[in-house]
Amino acid sequence: MAYPYRDDRETTTVLSRHMGEPEARTLSGWLERGGYEALGTALEMEPDEITEIVKESGLRGRGGAGFPTGMKWGFMPKENGRAHYLCCNADESEPGAFKDREIMRWTPHLMIEGCLIAARAIRAGHVYIYVRGEFFPVVRVLNQAVVEAYEAGYIGRSVLGSGWSCDITVHLGAGAYIAGEETGLMSSLMGGRAEPWMKPPFPAARGIFGAPTTVNNVETLASVPGIVANGSAWYRQWGSDESPGTKLWCCSGHLVKPGNYELELGVPLSEIIYDVCGGAPDGKRVRAVIPGGSSTPFLTADELDCETTYEGMQAAGSSLGTASPIVMDESTCLLSAMRRIAQFYAHESCGQCVQCREGTEWIAKILRRIEDGDGEMKDIDTLYDLCEQLTGRTICVLADSVVFPLRSSLDKFRDEYESHIQQDACTAT
Amino acid sequence: MYGNVKTAELVSLRIDGTEISVPSNTSVIEAAEAVGVLVPRYCYHPGIPSRPAQCRVCLVEIEGQPKLQPSCNISVQEGMVVHTASEEARSARRSVIELLLVNHPLDCPICDAAGQCMLQDYAFETRQLASRLNEEKLVMGRDRIAEDILYFADRCILCTRCVRFMREVAEDDALIVAQRGYRAYIDTFPGAVLDNPFRGNIVDVCPVGALVHEDFLFKARFWDLDQTASVCPSCSTGCNVTIDTVENQIVRLKPRHNSEVNSYWMCDHGRKHLIMSNRGLRPEAPLLRRDGKLVPTGWGEALTWVAERLREVSRGMAIVSPHAANESLFYFRTLLDRIGIAGGTFRVEQGEEAILPGFPKLQLRADRAPNASGAELHGFERFDGGAHSDPGGDAVAVLEDPLGELPDEWGREASFFLYVGNRLSPAARNAHAILPVTTFAEMEGTFTNFEGRVQRFHQALQPAGLARPAWLVLARLVSLLEDGGDGGVAAPTLASEAFQVMVRATPAMADLEWASVGLKGARLGSTEAAVPHAQAPAEGA
Amino acid sequence: MSRRIHPSVAGAQPFQLAERDPEAPLFESAEGQERLQAVLSRYPTKQAALLPLLGYANELHGWVSKQDMESIAERLDLTPAYVWSVASFYTMYNKHPIGRHFIQVCTNISCHLNGAQRVLERFLEETGTRPGETSEDGRYTVIEAECLGACGFATAVQINDEYHENVTPERVSQILAGLDGNGS
Repeated sequence: MAYPYRDDRETTTVLSRHMGEPEARTLSGWLERGGYEALGTALEMEPDEITEIVKESGLRGRGGAGFPTGMKWGFMPKENGRAHYLCCNADESEPGAFKDREIMRWTPHLMIEGCLIAARAIRAGHVYIYVRGEFFPVVRVLNQAVVEAYEAGYIGRSVLGSGWSCDITVHLGAGAYIAGEETGLMSSLMGGRAEPWMKPPFPAARGIFGAPTTVNNVETLASVPGIVANGSAWYRQWGSDESPGTKLWCCSGHLVKPGNYELELGVPLSEIIYDVCGGAPDGKRVRAVIPGGSSTPFLTADELDCETTYEGMQAAGSSLGTASPIVMDESTCLLSAMRRIAQFYAHESCGQCVQCREGTEWIAKILRRIEDGDGEMKDIDTLYDLCEQLTGRTICVLADSVVFPLRSSLDKFRDEYESHIQQDACTAT
Repeated sequence: MYGNVKTAELVSLRIDGTEISVPSNTSVIEAAEAVGVLVPRYCYHPGIPSRPAQCRVCLVEIEGQPKLQPSCNISVQEGMVVHTASEEARSARRSVIELLLVNHPLDCPICDAAGQCMLQDYAFETRQLASRLNEEKLVMGRDRIAEDILYFADRCILCTRCVRFMREVAEDDALIVAQRGYRAYIDTFPGAVLDNPFRGNIVDVCPVGALVHEDFLFKARFWDLDQTASVCPSCSTGCNVTIDTVENQIVRLKPRHNSEVNSYWMCDHGRKHLIMSNRGLRPEAPLLRRDGKLVPTGWGEALTWVAERLREVSRGMAIVSPHAANESLFYFRTLLDRIGIAGGTFRVEQGEEAILPGFPKLQLRADRAPNASGAELHGFERFDGGAHSDPGGDAVAVLEDPLGELPDEWGREASFFLYVGNRLSPAARNAHAILPVTTFAEMEGTFTNFEGRVQRFHQALQPAGLARPAWLVLARLVSLLEDGGDGGVAAPTLASEAFQVMVRATPAMADLEWASVGLKGARLGSTEAAVPHAQAPAEGA
Repeated sequence: MSRRIHPSVAGAQPFQLAERDPEAPLFESAEGQERLQAVLSRYPTKQAALLPLLGYANELHGWVSKQDMESIAERLDLTPAYVWSVASFYTMYNKHPIGRHFIQVCTNISCHLNGAQRVLERFLEETGTRPGETSEDGRYTVIEAECLGACGFATAVQINDEYHENVTPERVSQILAGLDGNGS
């Protein structure tokens, strides 16, 4: 089992260096590769020193929102003696994203090490790794790594004899996209429906079991050991001031070489799509790209020369999201693609907020009807209006997540909608 | 309304242009009510603690906030400027209603809630003139939630008030949201039904027609109901209720808010019991025994005749009902004093107790009568020893006790048997005179609940036949005995007058005023004073 | 089953397996007790053990029955209704028995772009079933799944606890034959 997507070009390998090496999954193999050295460093540091280094590194949350990780840790109360929790968000469910799964199945100890260091920084005594339910082969690897680390004293009472204790529990989800949302994850972890809650209370004040909690994404945590071991300046050698470091890119859709690539933040998107992934197969032209996972706005083929940083993608009118470009070639019916995306969000709405529960389903129905040839021109106005109504009015951003691709597809590919409505024909070639 | 007013600081804010100061723990939606602005709400209910802010219909604009905020969930802050009806807030509200109507069957013509439906109201308010919907609606059907409650899933807006009432107030987590997203619905555990004694409240909190009582189904249109403020007579708690009637029939009881008694709730026993107990044979005209037979007659003749006979009574026994109003018990006491019968007893039907954990003051109490305290206050003694003994050759006077479980010949030997009541049981038919009186639902008056709260009820029904309130009948008899019937002593003709006579003559009630009792009731001076056993009877008016 | 499971991962065992015993007792066995105690030891509240135990029921029985929900409710001091509310929120707990080979075809966007619909149709054709329906011989249940998180390997198909990636309609019969061949 070789890691199948090594970029031929010279590339950065902070996270993915040992992917594709089955021995790296074992504790001994991981130790041979310098594993848990960063943990040793962290154990000699005060919690706030760790937080400070991560702050300086500029590491931003890799779950999609890009919130500065060190700042998030800084929100946690500083006093000891009270239960604090870390939740590792391994509920990777954004369509297009498959990076956390690769981290967990190739280098589980990297993530475990990141969890432990983060737990120390935020004074947590227990880490819950919330893994999405479908990842059975992945969780087998992860479970084995956790047990090995426990048995070797890296997890549990007095980690490596330091006197500092930390438990890790792997928790398996069961098929709910919304459990990947921070508060939805916490509701689910506590044995509930994965229903997001209104903030405040913020997790750092009142998270799981009523205690201060931080929720961090797998890739975020896997980036931490390198930063702690090598310092923030080392991490800042890559990327931009606002978006330092490297990022795993999950490239899917119509590509010659789809897959998972670790790249410095800022590489032009066009380079990722054409040079790294070889562009669309069979000599077809790229028609559209959703750059950051299915909840980010569409870009046209002409808009791909953007810098893949948080700020660069925003300037391009989209978002870095989970860095999961979904590429659609010229033969793609964008209406059908959008319908499939909308159908997903309707299926995954938790159902609390009216706009999301009813709106996502209505949008999916309208798109299906247009696809079936029964559309009317006024449907376009209705869809635009629903975009308006579903934005910024709900507890969480699931409703907004369908609006981003929908509104941009209406703006940029209106001809596709009109063609389906007026001629019952697709503009794809 | 504002929670703990004493400890909370006051903050000033501006809502739709009006300045107001409220305690800092007030939510914006509550503060808005205080300035007369009713922000639309579905998931928010003042009696249910949680504020999930999930219906999104109460979104308002707060200056300085980039997004609209749910007014139910946001606490007021000093200097806050709130616009509940800004263009954006109205647009958001309109959109919520439109979206709720996407899969709603619009079956208002056959919906129980039509006319008192918050979806209808807001659809009207937000002017949903035409539907943009071009899709087939989702059809989910209906389900039985309890023996007596049906759930129409297609009408449900998933505000979860019912779920949260059961979880947070009844503390019985038996009603839940099943599935998720647009496929979500309210459910019990598969195969189970709600059997909680307070389950009926889920129908009341439902803002639409999703949860309905089966015994009210298709029975009446809301706008045809006459609603009367009253007090539930089915136990000693005295929950404040509204009696809904159609064509002089009680069709349902709904709880009426009273934070001192029942909050927003009532029990299911109370909902049903009154309707059931209202059935049965009623005396509709005064009946006098002549030549061994009961003969109908007019009130004038009957009262004169009874007064004559009462002058001859010197000793005997008295039985009252804890269902009688305070005013009736008072005048009965006065009459008994006049003719020289001391004491008197009453029986209270007993039943199983139930408590509402989220509002523990509300209990279905073992005493299944509204006014045992009132009876005690007027010098009658609780009697738990089985059936009332036969008066033998003595006189007997009965107020409103139906004498239901007594032998047919009970009271037949009595020297004089006066029955002032509203039931015609075999024992009652042995009376020399039957004076038909109204039930509490057919009159105005007061009850005194288990803790000495005196509460008014209003007339919901027309009396059966010639029946009159017992206090009116008894007051008239007292005045006839007093002055020989020449009209020299005036008897009260209004419940308020009877009440005033009563409180002036009853030391324990001295603090009360008809007006101050109002719609929410008033406590007697102290609990001890409220229920004195065998207190000396008051002098006649 | 008899291998002792470390408590840290006791609540995270794959729970859609080919091997199941619908009649096995949930908690009235040494294994069941061990799993229950191990899971409970990891959370400060009993309720937090709910998902792990629903997973365990699904792992053991292939689905979560009313009886399973009642047993779990009893062990966690929850009402059966609450357990049903949670179980029904999550799509991966089967609410009725399923075929021995539980085939989940991802048709989400990346797989959609790569012909997942045809893969799904082929699975349905070859197994002679409709979505969610179990074949008469009890062998197969095929459903359409939301994103399986293997977007770079479209079309992704999950059969019980195994992933099959880069599945094309042409490979479907071979995959099905493989399932029968190894007798799983």
